[in-house]
Amino acid sequence: MQPIEIIVIVACVLIVGGVIFKAIYDKKKGKSSCCCDCSKCTKCYKKDQNDGGENN
Amino acid sequence: MHRFALAGNPNSGKTTLFNGLTGSTAHVGNWPGVTVDKREGVYKKFDEPIAIVDLPGIYSLSPYTPEEVIARNYILDEKPDCVINIIDATNLERNLYLTTQLLEIDVPMVLALNMMDAVEKRGDYIDEKALENRLGIPVVKISALKGEGLDKLMERAHQVCSVIRYGKTVIEDVALKHLIGDIKIALEGQGVSNPMFHAVKLAEFDEIEVLMHKDTVNMVEAFKKSHQYDGFGDDFEALIADARYKYITKYFSPTLKRKNKEKFVVTPSDKADKVLTHKIWGIPIFLVILFTIFHLTFSENLFFLGGLLPEGWVSFEGTAFEGVFGAGGINSPGVMLMSLVEILTTFISDGVATLLATSPEWVSGLICDGVLGGIFAILGFLPQILVLFLFFSILEDSGYMARIAFILDRALRKFGLSGRAFLPMIMGFGCSVPAMINTRTLADEKEKIATVRVIPFFSCGAKLPILTAVSGAIVGYFGVGNVDFITYGMYLIGMITALVAVVLMRETTLKGDTPPFIMELPAYHAPQLWNLVMLLWDKAKHFIHKAFTIILASTIIIWVISHFSFSWNYLSDDLMHQSILGGLGQLIQPLFTPLGFGSQLNGMGWVFAVAAITGLIAKENVVSTLGTLATCLIGTMIDIESDGGVGAVSIMIANTGITLPALLAFIAFNMTTIPCFAAVAAAKGEMPNKKKFNWTIVFWVITSYIVASALYLIGTAWWTAFLYLAVAIVAITIIKFTNKKREKIGK
Repeated sequence: MQPIEIIVIVACVLIVGGVIFKAIYDKKKGKSSCCCDCSKCTKCYKKDQNDGGENN
Repeated sequence: MHRFALAGNPNSGKTTLFNGLTGSTAHVGNWPGVTVDKREGVYKKFDEPIAIVDLPGIYSLSPYTPEEVIARNYILDEKPDCVINIIDATNLERNLYLTTQLLEIDVPMVLALNMMDAVEKRGDYIDEKALENRLGIPVVKISALKGEGLDKLMERAHQVCSVIRYGKTVIEDVALKHLIGDIKIALEGQGVSNPMFHAVKLAEFDEIEVLMHKDTVNMVEAFKKSHQYDGFGDDFEALIADARYKYITKYFSPTLKRKNKEKFVVTPSDKADKVLTHKIWGIPIFLVILFTIFHLTFSENLFFLGGLLPEGWVSFEGTAFEGVFGAGGINSPGVMLMSLVEILTTFISDGVATLLATSPEWVSGLICDGVLGGIFAILGFLPQILVLFLFFSILEDSGYMARIAFILDRALRKFGLSGRAFLPMIMGFGCSVPAMINTRTLADEKEKIATVRVIPFFSCGAKLPILTAVSGAIVGYFGVGNVDFITYGMYLIGMITALVAVVLMRETTLKGDTPPFIMELPAYHAPQLWNLVMLLWDKAKHFIHKAFTIILASTIIIWVISHFSFSWNYLSDDLMHQSILGGLGQLIQPLFTPLGFGSQLNGMGWVFAVAAITGLIAKENVVSTLGTLATCLIGTMIDIESDGGVGAVSIMIANTGITLPALLAFIAFNMTTIPCFAAVAAAKGEMPNKKKFNWTIVFWVITSYIVASALYLIGTAWWTAFLYLAVAIVAITIIKFTNKKREKIGK
């Protein structure tokens, strides 16, 4: 196996693994993988949705 | 860290002020209801950073809408150190209504008179000192758009944030004031914070307060029995609202000195609205504007000059500019930029291919055909996406988008749709996710569910490459129409599908009254350049980020499983149909046979089937998958080499034997089927329960199948249109009959 083949295989594994890991990590942290216009939102929409709040 | 909350009416400029204070680029729209949730940023100009919270726009602190509940809960529960009440100074009296409610909360406050530039332009004057004395809180004149007065505003807010302020009410009616005073004492005795606010709300019989302070409600009820007011009876909410407005008119209105004493002045916006929101011409004008946008983005024959002017006048055929400016006509700005990107991507592809000339076949195949073929097929569309969104942003920023909701509300109210539901639908042109989140502003749950379900039919930016790539193939292969016409037509099909689907749902499973729609039409103004630049920058950044993460990973996976067999042997391009992907694709391709891109394509249907399925991850994947597979397959189909990209997709499509109706069905299927993972997750979050969400998935699958198969069958055999018509008439008759029967039983 040539060095370039090893480099390409490692790079592909890292890219695919990285993307999958990031998606799982974000999901666990409650973040959405979306965000176009809401990319600046500091709070996850799911978290906000559960914001019932209680007046006191 | 201190926390300052921005509160104010919808479209009063809160988000513009938020961006100005925090340096953020949160989406600003010239229509009410852009912000549906609170968001946070940091103001860093003081020694100590200050958290700024942008609350959704509200008209009152009564729990009529989800935004009002969010804002109310935040101010009462999270107890910000200061509330900056931003008001549209051009509508002083109406905006001060909310101020009178905020004043009742025990929180330091500052009043920001926004849009002072517009007030001064009119020649009007506001005496902020008199207003300040009357309100008892600092008043600062600002222009959030121009960044004027922001430092002074923050200084005043910083000064008052450590000073305790107790709530006070503006209600002057003696008996009512007495009642509020008694309730306040009772609540103080119970240790309730913000007693003045809760006392007034209890007097109003606010539903949240009634549930929370059951013991004190009796006091209000007893009072109600003994007091009946002229005109209002025992409607204390209306009575208190009237008391607030009386106070505003008596004490606050005199602080505004108008140059023009006439009460109603016809503004340029009013004049423009006479035409743009005309009851007959409003919708045709909207359709013409929409077509113009598509023409300027996708046309290869700008303003149809190629056909109108003598041959050779505007042709760049055979010159160095042919690729960019077009042959036989001038390219639209979108196509010109796209051609430039294609020149660049071709240069890179050629360079990489030369570099990898001596490397093993699979390495060059993976990098050149797989990765570059897929990524460049998508990146080529970035300029057109940006041009399209530039035009949409101009429409939004100018205030025209709000008018569209108004026009459509008038036209479609009788079908069970309110104009409010159209605002998130229109946002769907950008991205389905924020559009679905925006449906939280819809108070009616059934209307909200129906809206979430049809938002994906408003083609988002990610679906644009599918439309353009396939439309390009249609024009190139079949010589039919222009790309701009086809793309525009498919957008319209998506919108019509959405409308028909909502009407059907509102007549059957989601039956209910059309909620009232009251919306303040913002004044037209010139779009802000910085706003547009930031919006496009965000869009480009997001697109490129996605291209080099999800799509890059997908292209690698697609290439690998399309070049290895189930027994993990490497397969060359001409044996791809024996690969894992080919096998799976051939397994599912019969599902797409009724849509025209399945088994009938002589073993090539799997390519389209696989592309449609990968689109479920992200819609850009449809074209990147086609790009990857096309770059590999072209050499096996015809005797030419391709540099990949969108050109390869067109060539491959042309050689699969697919028909024109099937290509249109392919676009329609991808436009209306289950959206990307992110949008599905957003839809799940907005649905009231799992059952409704599961039905939403079923709805998407069935709708896409019906729309795509109708296009394919009617396009293939025109007479089948009568069959569809007959089915539609029968369905409508059954629905009408059933509804009438139910109404009779109900009576």
